[in-house]
Amino acid sequence: MRNLIMVRYGEIYLKGQNRPFFLKLLVSRIRDALRCQHAKVWLNDSRIYVSDFDSQDECIIRLVKVFGVHSVCPAVEMDKSNFEDICKQATKMMEGLHGTFKVQARRSDKRFFMDSPQINAAVGEYILTSRPDLQVDVRKADHLMNIEIRDNAYLYVKVIPGAGGMPVGSNGKAALLLSGGIDSPVAGYMIAKRGVELCAVHFYSFPYTGERAKDKVLDLARILSVSACGVRVYVVPFTEIQMKIHELCPPDYTTLIMRRCMMRIADRIAEKAGAQVLVTGESIGQVASQTMDALVCTDAVSSRPVFRPLIGFDKVDIVAYAKQIGTYETSCLPYEDCCTVFTPKHPVTHPKIDKTELAEAPLELQRLINDAVENVEITDV
Amino acid sequence: MCYLDNSATTRPSRPVVESVTKSMTEGFYNPSALYSPAVAAEKEITACRKLIRAELNADSVVFVSGGTEANNLAILGTMLQKRDRGSVLFSAVEHPSVREACLRLKSQGHDVKEIPVDARGIIDLEAFQSILSPDTRLICVMHVNNETGAVQPIGEMSLLRQTYCPQALLHVDGVQGFLRVPLSMTQWNVDSYSLSAHKIHGPKGIGALALRGRKAPSPLMLGGGQEGNIRSGTENTPGIAGLQAAVENYPLANNMHALKMKLFSALRSAIPAIRVNGPAPDSPSAAPHILNVSFPPVRSETMLHALETKKVYVGIGSACSTRKKQTSTVLSAMNVPADQAQSAIRFSLNPYITEKEIDFAADACAQQYSVLCRFERR
Repeated sequence: MRNLIMVRYGEIYLKGQNRPFFLKLLVSRIRDALRCQHAKVWLNDSRIYVSDFDSQDECIIRLVKVFGVHSVCPAVEMDKSNFEDICKQATKMMEGLHGTFKVQARRSDKRFFMDSPQINAAVGEYILTSRPDLQVDVRKADHLMNIEIRDNAYLYVKVIPGAGGMPVGSNGKAALLLSGGIDSPVAGYMIAKRGVELCAVHFYSFPYTGERAKDKVLDLARILSVSACGVRVYVVPFTEIQMKIHELCPPDYTTLIMRRCMMRIADRIAEKAGAQVLVTGESIGQVASQTMDALVCTDAVSSRPVFRPLIGFDKVDIVAYAKQIGTYETSCLPYEDCCTVFTPKHPVTHPKIDKTELAEAPLELQRLINDAVENVEITDV
Repeated sequence: MCYLDNSATTRPSRPVVESVTKSMTEGFYNPSALYSPAVAAEKEITACRKLIRAELNADSVVFVSGGTEANNLAILGTMLQKRDRGSVLFSAVEHPSVREACLRLKSQGHDVKEIPVDARGIIDLEAFQSILSPDTRLICVMHVNNETGAVQPIGEMSLLRQTYCPQALLHVDGVQGFLRVPLSMTQWNVDSYSLSAHKIHGPKGIGALALRGRKAPSPLMLGGGQEGNIRSGTENTPGIAGLQAAVENYPLANNMHALKMKLFSALRSAIPAIRVNGPAPDSPSAAPHILNVSFPPVRSETMLHALETKKVYVGIGSACSTRKKQTSTVLSAMNVPADQAQSAIRFSLNPYITEKEIDFAADACAQQYSVLCRFERR
């Protein structure tokens, strides 16, 4: 008998012939996540098992963050030949639990001498004799005592939900425009959750923002990198472009032109990094640069698709999501808003592409963008 | 490099570093132990105590971890003893370690009032007089304001106290004033005075509360009964040695005032748009080492980082408050207009600053300002 962790995967079940590829990737992502726990991870009979770990709790904390994991169960593996032992163990695992319960057996070894309903009844009765305070409720039980009869018997009560999604690396690569605000880390998380590898592009406007603002963005990338399996951050020096825009372009267009420059630079970095798409945290109508017209205008300068996973989210929902994934507190640190000097009082809300192009005509775009891309600072987190 | 953030902290001077090192390597014994090297360590502490007592004309000196603890001890430790709930007054421009301690008393049911300041950040004596009453138990005021360098009229306040509420205690936060602006506790009837070593080229983590002619405050830290049972905990002997060396070596005769004026005139002639926050730099109410000016429309943080590229390091208000995104409570108490408050920069000097460094800093400000001022919000 030994303690182990049973990892269940969700959507990968739906895959047909490609399923082995996804499973192999998921197992390797789990191995990476548990490397420091010296755990053994293996795939058997449509379940992933983790054993021989240093600390079960620490493993669970790490596992629930791995994309592709549907849920995690701390389980006991035991010899299935002695049914009395199984009953005893099940009773032991109900210790400290109160209310109603139900035994839920699953028998993939059809040679086992009892079928599932018989196991349910027998184990349930055994538990009830030593725990008369408990009650059985087969419809809506407080606790599910799971017993799986496979090569061995596996018992578990607790089911801890995982992050869901698909294993990172199963679905290409994206470049995330990471600002340091609340939205962009959430957008990055959502995309990474679909199995996409991430790199991040941050625009740095020293002296309008300082070292602490940059550290904050790296901290956000670090939080993302736990689930996204490492993120390379490209910090782009952006002050000169902002100053030139401020100097040479009509005030109401400055924000929009700035967004277009960011897109162009991110597009170039994505090309270098081998990312197929750009990701932003924009949502329709949140600010002037995120009206439908403005989004169309910024989209126009990227040679690759721009994904905006938050496009239909309200701010409150984004905030709730950010709190859930643990980026909210870092996003709310106050070192960021120094760029307000470049925000016009009345930005254009319904820009047209031809007018925008005219407005940015005085800029030496090619040179400014080349300079910015060449002086990018790279940090792996 | 030109370090002009000496109100945040100072670089420990060589004699201080040597003293601390010597205390750590040779005099590391626990001063409460009985063998002779420990007795020697205790004597070192006594020597430092004596030095500070003489410097301030104090009766006794309690060593604590720094200015924040000294203020907490003076405020909370004093009010712990008072049976009645008399009122506590603190100025509107106090450091958070005084303000928050007073607000704690308020949450515990004490009558706590703010003393208003004028546009220069100096206590409004008329308003002060009007809130004094026989019920007043404690008055907290800082010697020199950490953001504006305003020197508070301690003498006048002490006289008013004498007239209207002679039983009230006067606590002065001297973290920014000690040694830089002379003060005698006897002359002005100050009952307690806080100081911190790292603002005068000493080490961090050591400070003191000087007391005169009053009952000692109740301890906030309980334990082995060190420091006359007012502050338990094994004495920070290296820190105390460092504090002593800092006091002994502080150049009382220095030209900070002249250099501050030089910086101010250089800034004013290069950038006519600057605004002074606090008393006029050449007035007697302005401390010799702090100059707070605004560079509208360039925001404080932007200017700070721009100066950083020239290796000129300055402050924006209190270093303790840069993690909070709001305008300084000090500047808002003075009713400084928002755009001026958002572009405030604090230059704080030390006695070792040279004329060359001041010229360099003034040039750097002028250069960076001329670039940045063009990027005004439109």
